[in-house]
Amino acid sequence: MATNYSHVLRDTQKWLERWGVVVAFVALFAASTYKQGFDFLNPENIRALLNSNAPVGILAVGMTLVIISAGIDLSVGSMLVLAGAIGMTAMNALIEQGSGQWTAVLLGGATTLLVGVAAGSVNGLLVVFGRIAPFIATLGGLAAFRSMSLAIADAGEIRSQSTELFGVLGRGGIPLPGLLNAGGKALTISYSTVLFFVAAAIAQWFLSRSRFGRQLVAVGANEIAARYAGISVSSIRFRVYAAMGLLAGIAALVQSSRMNSVSTSQLGLGSELDAIAAVVIGGTRLSGGFGRVWGTVFGVLILGMITNILTISGVSPYWQGSVKGAVIVLAVLVQRSSRN
Amino acid sequence: MVAQTSSISIMSHGEGDASVREPLLRACAVTVDYPGVRALDAVTLDFYAGQIHAVVGENGAGKSTLMNVLSGVVRPTSGALVLRGRPVRFFQPSDAIRAGIAMVHQELNLVPTLDVAENILLGREPTHFLGIAVDRNAQRKRAAELLEMLGAELNVGTAVCDLSIAQGQFVEIAKCLASDARIFIFDEPTAVLGEREAQRLFTVMRRLRDEGCCVIFISHHLDEILTIGDQVSVLRDGRLAQSLARDAHGVLRDTMGSPADVGSLAKAMVGREIGAIFPPKESATDLTAAIELVNFGLRRESPRISLAVAAGEIVGIAGLVGSGRTEIAEAIVGLRQHDGLLRVHGREQRFSSPRSAMRAGVAYVSEDRKARGLHVSLSSIANMTLPSLDTFSRMWGMRVDDTAERTTTQRWIDALRIRCARPMSPISSLSGGNQQKFALARWLETKPKVLIIDEPTRGVDVGARGEMYRIIARLAADGLACIVISSELSEVIGISHRVLVMRGGRIAGELSRQQLLLSDCQERIMRIASGLPAESEQRS
Repeated sequence: MATNYSHVLRDTQKWLERWGVVVAFVALFAASTYKQGFDFLNPENIRALLNSNAPVGILAVGMTLVIISAGIDLSVGSMLVLAGAIGMTAMNALIEQGSGQWTAVLLGGATTLLVGVAAGSVNGLLVVFGRIAPFIATLGGLAAFRSMSLAIADAGEIRSQSTELFGVLGRGGIPLPGLLNAGGKALTISYSTVLFFVAAAIAQWFLSRSRFGRQLVAVGANEIAARYAGISVSSIRFRVYAAMGLLAGIAALVQSSRMNSVSTSQLGLGSELDAIAAVVIGGTRLSGGFGRVWGTVFGVLILGMITNILTISGVSPYWQGSVKGAVIVLAVLVQRSSRN
Repeated sequence: MVAQTSSISIMSHGEGDASVREPLLRACAVTVDYPGVRALDAVTLDFYAGQIHAVVGENGAGKSTLMNVLSGVVRPTSGALVLRGRPVRFFQPSDAIRAGIAMVHQELNLVPTLDVAENILLGREPTHFLGIAVDRNAQRKRAAELLEMLGAELNVGTAVCDLSIAQGQFVEIAKCLASDARIFIFDEPTAVLGEREAQRLFTVMRRLRDEGCCVIFISHHLDEILTIGDQVSVLRDGRLAQSLARDAHGVLRDTMGSPADVGSLAKAMVGREIGAIFPPKESATDLTAAIELVNFGLRRESPRISLAVAAGEIVGIAGLVGSGRTEIAEAIVGLRQHDGLLRVHGREQRFSSPRSAMRAGVAYVSEDRKARGLHVSLSSIANMTLPSLDTFSRMWGMRVDDTAERTTTQRWIDALRIRCARPMSPISSLSGGNQQKFALARWLETKPKVLIIDEPTRGVDVGARGEMYRIIARLAADGLACIVISSELSEVIGISHRVLVMRGGRIAGELSRQQLLLSDCQERIMRIASGLPAESEQRS
């Protein structure tokens, strides 16, 4: 009888390890609906929830891949602000020189992405060829990339000279046919949310279906065995940090476009912790070798809903960090217990 | 025959002079069963104070299991340990340590940043000021005393990370002495030591014996055993096969009274007949070399070897642990720095990684299946297709064709008769033999021309061994050039067309196909591997 019981317990734990993040999401969703009723289910509210969490979500997608490779990237917030700052400076310079709106915005956007890839590549090179532990290499990036962007704008704000076009990415969206918002206008799903979901879908595909994903998991699970199996470990690790940089660049575009400015001292500050937290809540193993992007998506939404529900319940923002911290620790506890 | 000798050995203790004293530690009919294997079968052994007791045997004979029982790592299935006349039970290693049994591990358990004195008295620091502060002077003095007792000349203020491996072992021994250990178990301590350092260790072991401790010593080097052992026990297939003791003149004699030499020890160790588990040897038809090493070595100044293996030929590489077999294999496929000439099918090659070796048709199956050969946390399919993933990739690697993967995996499961019901489950759920088949199959899928397989049956149960041998023979018959590295003599002899014996990074000898048919070939390999002259030379 006792053994039967422990069997059930173990199965439940296994099940929770796999699906716990969905259970938590559904529970939070139900709690939010119960508490706020239509205010929460209001499409505008859902839209805002997704929209505001998209940039961290995009970072978290990349972070999932990095953590699966048994690495970590602490510099994502600083990469974001550096890419945003340089990209916007370039765009403004082009506009001042009299380039057309489209040229300036496109070239500025491309610069943002390129700076992201370049910063990520620096991390990759340090980890692969410098043989520096990812934690240390990207800790350097965390400090350095932020300081570079502070230096560019004297720690101030860079305002976009593109008054209309540039802001479209961050504020515009695709109209959903048949759905209207309270004002009677067509409801849209914002471009940033679309970017988040598309990035997650592509990353999930690469992770589970592509050659790169297979080799990434193998490297994260056992780097030495991967080398013995004929995998080029350096190339895999470099590529994953470069991809992280690209995603930081995309997140930078979304953020700077939404604000139509880049605050070099505030943008992306602390977002590396939110991204890592979302990955951990999503069930990806911090030691590498196992992970899933779809879990991270739920992780991002859970963190977003917690903030949302706490704010609406009138909990002081100073206390919100404690709740988030408790959720992260709880997620890890639930997901690791059956592995021992 | 085996049972007889073991009963005689017990009787001889009853009659011999050693029995005047009571044994410090006695293993009484100790049996250990692992799933599918009886590792120890009713072994009874006495260990006396003031003696060096050497335990020898082939790999898998049960030496390590016996030591694990004595040090509390493994609990015996049946049988008992008797310490100073009282039965004891160890549930964990700390129980054995408390009882005064210390295992001196090869991998050192020292804190590298602390100095010698701090390490020796770790956890038992002498204190003053009401136990608040460590008494550094007393600590250093006590440590120096212990080292002096061992005859080891070491500065107690040196940081442990600056010590050599042998010096580290001395510190480890002193640490055991500080904990009042009376029984010291040395598990192949000389495998990591050079000749001079080994001699110093023997001095320390003799010193321990003269201090009244019991020293249990495991080694593959038979000459070492002959010089240092006061009592020698030979294990074979989990049983006590032979027991030797020194007579009044210091001559080591077996239970029948005949003096022991390396030859008789080797014979006692490997006495089993080579059964029919080995397939018949097909002759290699193509005599052009598939792989050729010329003056190949690890570094510029390290020893070089030259060898050539023809397509369809199986060449065995024997040698003691640490003789450089695995290192050469890893150097061939680019896992280690190397120097010298390497030709594959006549084309000069220099591999920088297993990947480049794979492209040229050279595959290496590692001896360390768990840590290097396979990804134990991944599924059987993922493991199976990892090296050959390129051939399953579609759309520039964006998609891995999982249908093809499944088909291929199933094909290998059928071809090698792998017992694997759920290929999507982690490979760690399979038995050692089936894991090993996947470790081999994943490389066969890369269609190699040269296969280097290191310890093909380590951790593989007896039934699957025969299958593994048949697989290797069949691969060779199909034209694959095979290099089989193994510590098990019967294995290399049983499947190879010829055997190379390595010692100290060199090829110390070669046995041709005809020589492998002779009954004394195991002894000959043992002699070459441990650097002793051949028997015929010794007689003349």
